[in-house]
Order: sequence, then C-alpha cells, then structure tokens
Amino acid sequence: MATDEDLMRAVVRGNERAFEELCRRYERPLYGFLARHVGEEHAADLHQDTWLRVARHAERFDPTRRFSTWLFQIAINLCRDWHRRPPPEPVAPADADRPGAATTAASEAGIDARRLLAALPEAQRTVVILRLYHDLSETEVAEILGCAAGTVKSRLHYALERLVALARDDGALP
Amino acid sequence: MTEACRHLRSRLLLARPLDAAAAAHATACEHCRTERATLATLAAALRAAAPAPPAALAARVRAAAAPILAARARRIAWRPLARALGAALLPLPLIVAGSAAALRGLYLALATVLPETLSLYLALNAAVAAALLCALTYGAIPLLAARQARLHHEVLHG
Repeated sequence: MATDEDLMRAVVRGNERAFEELCRRYERPLYGFLARHVGEEHAADLHQDTWLRVARHAERFDPTRRFSTWLFQIAINLCRDWHRRPPPEPVAPADADRPGAATTAASEAGIDARRLLAALPEAQRTVVILRLYHDLSETEVAEILGCAAGTVKSRLHYALERLVALARDDGALP
Repeated sequence: MTEACRHLRSRLLLARPLDAAAAAHATACEHCRTERATLATLAAALRAAAPAPPAALAARVRAAAAPILAARARRIAWRPLARALGAALLPLPLIVAGSAAALRGLYLALATVLPETLSLYLALNAAVAAALLCALTYGAIPLLAARQARLHHEVLHG
C-alpha cells in the first residue's frame, strides 16, 4: 500500500486517485479535529478549504516529513484564521435546529464537552484535541505546532486543569 | 498537587493506560483516589463526542479540487514541451549564424566559377532548403512533446 508521502508525490503531478485516497484516509480525523476546533457547523467548509490548500500547494510538501503533520498544520492555520474573523450573524432558529448542529455536545453526566473545549484558549484547545482525540505524542504535536515538546506538555497540563475546573463550575463534577 | 498527581491526571483524562508509577500513585495518594472517578467521568464525556463527517463531504471536496488537480496535471504534462523547446532554441542563434556563414561561403565559391546571378539563385535555393529543414525540425518538437504528454497522462490517469 502506498504511503501518504508517495500519494502526495502523485498529487504533485495532478493524480486525482492519489488525492482521493488521501482524502479517504484523513476524512474522519481531519473532520473530527475541525469540528472540535470550530464546531460542526463550520467544520465542513474548513475541511474543504484544507484539502484545497493541499491540492494548490502540493509542491510545498516536503516528502521527507510526515504528511499528517503537514495536513494538520494547514488545518490549524485555517482554524486560526477562522477564529480571527468577526463573529457571524446570529443563527436563525431554523438553522440552529438542523440535525448535527450540536452532536458534539456530550451528554455524559451532563457535561457539554464541546462547550468545555470551546472555553479553552485556542493554543490549549489544539493541544488537547491532538493529544486526546488523535493519540499523537507530545513530540508529534510539537512538530505540528512548531514548538518545543515542553511547551506542549505545559499547555496540556493547564488545559486539563482548566477542563476540570470548568466542569466543576458547571456543577457537572463534584 | 505533586508532579505524580499531574502525571496521573493527564493519563486519566487522556484515557491512557496507567503505567506502574501512575498506578502506584493512584492507590497511595488519597486526593487522587477520590478524584479518580470524577476524572474518568470527564474523560468519558470528552471521548464520547466523535463528530462524523457529512456523507456528501468527500464528493464535495473531490469536485472542488478536481479543476486544481487537472490544471496541475496539464502544467506537469506540458513541462516536457517547455524543456524540449528551451533545449532546441538554445543552439538556434549558433545554427543560424553557422548556416549564414556556410551559405555566404557557398555563394562566394560558386561566384568564382559561375555567373553571379546563377550563384545567387543556387545559394538562395540552399538557404530556402535549410530554412525548410529547420522549420520542420522545430515544428516537430510540439507534436512530439504533445504525444509524450498524452502518454504521460495515460500512464498517470489510466
């Protein structure tokens, strides 16, 4: 089976099948990352933007590095841009009720996981999502974020502290 | 809270198996023992939220990326033509200068034995033949490159 890096070499030459295979491999992880970062209502657009950037700037990919690192770096940059945008217009009630709009809101013990994650500072949220949901090591997260592994460790520590505190403030935890 | 407490908290919230040190601390530390169930609840809540991509998303991404990939494939396919033309045009000034000098030499040599008008006629004929040969050679470059690009595209896309 071709590696991600081999597939990217083919994408550089405009190979659609290689692109589709990469999309298939990373559809769930990337969408999950984006949905947790910006919410499901915006994740599909950012998901598409991420892949369009991959297609447009394929020659910038260094095949000696991991594709997943590059892909998540693109996604993180898009999330940062998204967070810098002015807040959207208030959502009409009909849109707010559409299916899937709040599927990430966990009901376990009354804890709203989506709201807890959203309350974290962006840098901490990124670390938590990559460590918790994508099982990446501290070194891998550090590579994606372009920072030291120690920074990842401290951000994770503060984020987890904050998550516990927020859940307690909500009364969801004793 | 000690470093061992923090280590245990991370492992519990990230739902990682407890290593020997963390397991030992979990039983020894009263604070962590009482907090363990709370952390497990929070970890489960965080893990439970697994958003699934909409069904049509993959097709939407493919459709949006198709023109970009097609343009990329075209650009890549025409690279051999650009390279071939570049390589062929590079020696062209030398070929033109060499041909002009050869034709002039031919004319001067013919003029010593033949009338000037006939020499000029023959030299011009030779010039036209040389120009025709050159045009045919350079005209074949795009055709050969296009064929090469087509074959390349077939290998790549079937």
